[in-house]
Amino acid sequence: MTFSPALAARKGVVILTLAAATLFGGATAAVAQQSFTDVAAGVNKKMVKLFGAGGFKGLPAYGTGILVSPKGHILTVNNHLLSTTDIKIHLSDGRSFPVRVVFREPELDLALLKIDDDTIDALPYFDIAEAAKRPLAQPGDWILAFSNQFHIATRDEPMSIQRGVISALTDLRARRGDFDPPYNGEAYFLDVIACNPGAAGGIITDRKGHLLGFLGRELKSRLSDTWINYAMPVQTEVELQRDETKVKVNVATFVQESIAGKYIVSNPRTKEKGPGGYHGIVLVPNAVQATPAYVEEVVPGSPAAEAGLRPDDLIVYVEGELIPSIKAFREIIRQTRPGTALRLEVQRGNRLHTINLKLTEHPKQKG
Amino acid sequence: MRFNRFLMPTCSAALLLTAWWAWAQQPPADAVLKAEAERVGVIQKIVPAVVAVFAPGGKNGGSGVVISKDGYALTNFHVVQATGPLMKCGLADGVLYDAVLVGEDKVGDVALIRLYPKKEGQDFPFAPLGDSDLVREGDWSVAAGNPFLLARDFRPTVTFGLVSGVHRYQYPAGSFLEYPDCIQIDTSINPGNSGGPLYNMKGELIGINGRGSFDKRGRVNSGVGYAISINQIKNFMGHLRAGLECDHASLGARVTTQTDKYGLGQMTVTSILDDSDAARRGLDIDDELVSFDGRPMGSVNQYFNVLGVFPRGWRVPLEYRRKEVRKEVLVRLMGKTAQVLLDPLQPGGPPQPQPGPIPKPGGKKPFPPAPQGPPSPLTKFFQPKQPTVANMYFNNLERDRLLAAFKKHGDFSALTGTWTIAGDARYKALAVKPGQETKAVTFTVGELKDGDKTYPTAQMATEGSTWSLKVLESTDQAVLKQPPSSGGLLSAMYLYQLLLTKGQQGFEDEFIHGGYEPFYPPAKTDKAPASLKDLRVDCEVLRTRTAQYQAKWYFDRRDLRLLGFEVRLTDNEDPCEVYLSDYDTVDGRELPRRMQVIHGNAPYGVFHLKGFRFGEAK
Repeated sequence: MTFSPALAARKGVVILTLAAATLFGGATAAVAQQSFTDVAAGVNKKMVKLFGAGGFKGLPAYGTGILVSPKGHILTVNNHLLSTTDIKIHLSDGRSFPVRVVFREPELDLALLKIDDDTIDALPYFDIAEAAKRPLAQPGDWILAFSNQFHIATRDEPMSIQRGVISALTDLRARRGDFDPPYNGEAYFLDVIACNPGAAGGIITDRKGHLLGFLGRELKSRLSDTWINYAMPVQTEVELQRDETKVKVNVATFVQESIAGKYIVSNPRTKEKGPGGYHGIVLVPNAVQATPAYVEEVVPGSPAAEAGLRPDDLIVYVEGELIPSIKAFREIIRQTRPGTALRLEVQRGNRLHTINLKLTEHPKQKG
Repeated sequence: MRFNRFLMPTCSAALLLTAWWAWAQQPPADAVLKAEAERVGVIQKIVPAVVAVFAPGGKNGGSGVVISKDGYALTNFHVVQATGPLMKCGLADGVLYDAVLVGEDKVGDVALIRLYPKKEGQDFPFAPLGDSDLVREGDWSVAAGNPFLLARDFRPTVTFGLVSGVHRYQYPAGSFLEYPDCIQIDTSINPGNSGGPLYNMKGELIGINGRGSFDKRGRVNSGVGYAISINQIKNFMGHLRAGLECDHASLGARVTTQTDKYGLGQMTVTSILDDSDAARRGLDIDDELVSFDGRPMGSVNQYFNVLGVFPRGWRVPLEYRRKEVRKEVLVRLMGKTAQVLLDPLQPGGPPQPQPGPIPKPGGKKPFPPAPQGPPSPLTKFFQPKQPTVANMYFNNLERDRLLAAFKKHGDFSALTGTWTIAGDARYKALAVKPGQETKAVTFTVGELKDGDKTYPTAQMATEGSTWSLKVLESTDQAVLKQPPSSGGLLSAMYLYQLLLTKGQQGFEDEFIHGGYEPFYPPAKTDKAPASLKDLRVDCEVLRTRTAQYQAKWYFDRRDLRLLGFEVRLTDNEDPCEVYLSDYDTVDGRELPRRMQVIHGNAPYGVFHLKGFRFGEAK
C-alpha cells in the first residue's frame, strides 16, 4: 500500500473532528453552573494581602497584590498604601512578611515590591510576560475578579471572588475627587462591583484563572458621576518621558526590568499643578471671599466662545460639582489638563444651560 | 506532487480549524439551554417558600423563608425589630398571611416567625435546609427576597451570583448583629432582601441574607453581601423554636494572635476569667489554642468564627497546647451579653474596625403603599416573658411536646412515695479498695422521718458510710453538695425523682424548654476517644429551677429518652453531672441500669443500678 496524502488527510479529519468534539463537549458542559472553586484556589496562591499606610480620610490601610516571581516580587497599584516603610503582606498560606518598594511607575499606576527575605523561593506566581502575550479580552467576555476588598480576609483566608462581564474596553474618563486618575488609558469596564476599598491591585482573570488585568482604584466617572468598576489590561503600554526622549513602557517590561533592578523611573509628570487647560473665560473680579463665578467676558475664538458661553453667565456646576466661588472654579481648572472636556451648568437669566467646554493648550503669548 | 503531499494535509487542517472555529462560535445551544433549564428549575422550586415580611400597615419589612410545612419561617432579627412581633407575610401565591414572632437571636441577627394558614391544617411550601459547611467559594448561589419592598404581589425577586468567600467573619454592630462564619456573595442583595434565603444550586437553604459591606456607595448592593450560614442557625434552632431570647457564647478568655518564627499566627490565651469554665477545665495564660470544636485555630477571625456560631451554655471540645503537650477538654461556654439586653444596637461591645452597616429596610425612600389587613388574630399566640423568653407560648408548645414524648418512656406520676435504688458502685472517689471490684450502694429518696416530722430527703448508703440530705432545709453548700467530691449527687437524685413523678409541678421557679445542646456521655470503657467530639449526642434540653437547685436535663433528640442531667447551686461552679444509660423496661417503664457521675475534671463513680423500688402515693 502506498502512502496516500488524501487518506491521511481524511484520517486527520476524523481524528481532529473527534478531538474538537471532545474539547467542545467538555467546554459546553461546564458553561453554566460550573463552580469556580478550583480556579479560585489556584489564583489565590498567587495573591497577597497588603497592609500599609492609610486608615485616614477614607483611605484604607489595606490592599491587594499579586506575586510575579518565585522569589516574592509583588505587583500592586501605586497608591497611598506604599507611603510608608512599614508595609506587610500575608501570603495565601498565612505567612506574614515585611516588603519593600523596588520601583514605582506612576504612569502605569503600578509598583513592584519585594518580600524582604532572601530565603524565599519557589512561590507560585503570575508570569506577566506570558499573560501580556495573550490577546485582549473583549466586551461580553466573562471574567472573575479577585481582591481583598473591605479587608475581609486576613492570613490564610482566601480573597473574595466575584464574577462579571466585560462591558466595554475604552478610555478611562474618571476622576478621583477633583483630580484625574494617574492612569487614563484604555481600561476594561466591568458590570460587577469590584472596585471597592482595598480592591486596587487585585486582578481580573478569565474563567480559567488566566490573568487579564488589574483592578483599579475607587473612581467616579467624569460623564455620569457614578462609581465605576474597571481594570487595566495586562497588555497596557504607556508613553513616558525619560530625560529628553519619549519611550514606551508596558507592564511586562516594567515588571521584568524592575525585578532585574534596572528599571529607569520616568520624569515625574507635572500635570496636577500649573495653569491647567485654557478656556478663554474672563471672570468678574474676585472681590470677596466667595465671589460667584460670573463670566465677565469671553475671548473671541477661545474654547469658551466655541462652547457658546456668554458674558453674565453664572457657572453653577462643573462636572456635577457645585461651584460656590471663583476660587473653586479656578481650582478645578488648575487640575484639568488640556484636551479634557468639562460639562458646565450655567445660569443664564432664569434658566440653566449645559455647556461642554473643551480645554486646550494655552495660546503662546506674543513677544 | 511533492508539494501536494504536504499541502493537502495542511490545507485540510486549516479548513478543519476554520470549520471548528465556526462551530465553536455557534451558541452551544443544548448545554446552555440545559443549564438555563436547571436554573429555572431551581428558581421554580424555591420561589413558593420565599416570604415578603411586612409590619402591620406595611411601613416596614424585609424578607424571609418558610422552613417547615407548619409555617415556621426564618428572617433577620433586624427585620422583626422593625415590624414588631405580629407581622404580615406574603408568599408567592399572592396571599398575605398573619405571622407571629417565635424566637429571636439578637446577636446573630436571626428571628424565627410562624405563619398561620388561612385554613387550619393547610401545609405551607418550605425550603429544605442544606449543609453550609459544604459551600465553597466559587460556587453559584441564588438569593431571593423582596428588595426595596417592591413586589406588590409578593412574588420574590431572584438574583444569581457567586459565593465570594466562606467562613467570613464580620464584626458586630454594637453588641449585636455579629456575622461569624458567614457566607460572602456577589449575588445582589439590597435593602428589603434582609432575612431572605440564599440557596445552593440544589435549591437547598444555605443561609439567610442579612448585610453587606458598604462604604462610600450607600446602602445598596456593593458586590459584597453576607448571609448567615444555615449551620449556625441550626445550632440555635431549638432555642428559636422554643421561643427563647438567644445569647451567643464567649469563652471567658482573651485570645490574641501571636506570630511564630515562620510568621504564622497562633492563638494564645492572654487573659482568662477565674470563674470561667475554661479556667476550671485547666486553660491558662500562654496556652496556645490548637483547635476548637475540631476546627484549627490560626487567626482571630477563625477563632471568632468558631465561637460565634454557638449558643451560650453549649459545651464544646477545645484543644490547647502547653509546652508541646496537647490536651483536649470540654468547655462550657459563657454568655456573650451579660444579660440579654433589651435594647440592641446600643453603643459599646467589641471594637469595630470594619462595621458593615446593616441594610435596614426603608432608608429615606418611602415604601410602596402598605398591604392593609385587619388586626392580627394571633395576639393570643404572643406571650413575651423578657428578658429570657421572647414568646412563652412557643416555649410551652415545645416543652409540652418534649414532656409528652418523654412520658412514653415511662409514666412515674403515680409513684410519688419513697424510692429505693440499690446497686454496685466503683471508682476511687467512693473509696473502693484495691482488689475490691465494687461496693454496694443504696439510694433512698422520699419523705423520710426525722424525729416526729417528715422531710423530703435523699440518702446514699454504702458500707460504712451514709450521707443524708434534707433537701429543702439545708443552706450549707457543703451539705447540699454531698457526698463529698460528687458535686451534689444527693440533690441530683432528689431532682431526678421530682422530675419523673411531678414534672412541672415540682419546679416552681422555672420549667422551660432550653433549646438544643450537645451532650457528651462519657465512653464506657477506660479508653479515651480520639476526639471528645466523637462522644457528642444532640439533645433537647429542659431547664428547671426549684429551691436552690438549677438543673439542665438532656433528652436525645432522636427519641427523647433522658440521657442525663446536671445540677448546680450557683452559676459559676461545676455541676454534678449524671449520665444515664443501659435502659431496660420494667412494668412498661424504662429504667437506666447504668449511672455515671462526674464532677469537675474527675469522675466520681459508676453505678450499676440493680433494684428499683418505687413507693406509691400515700
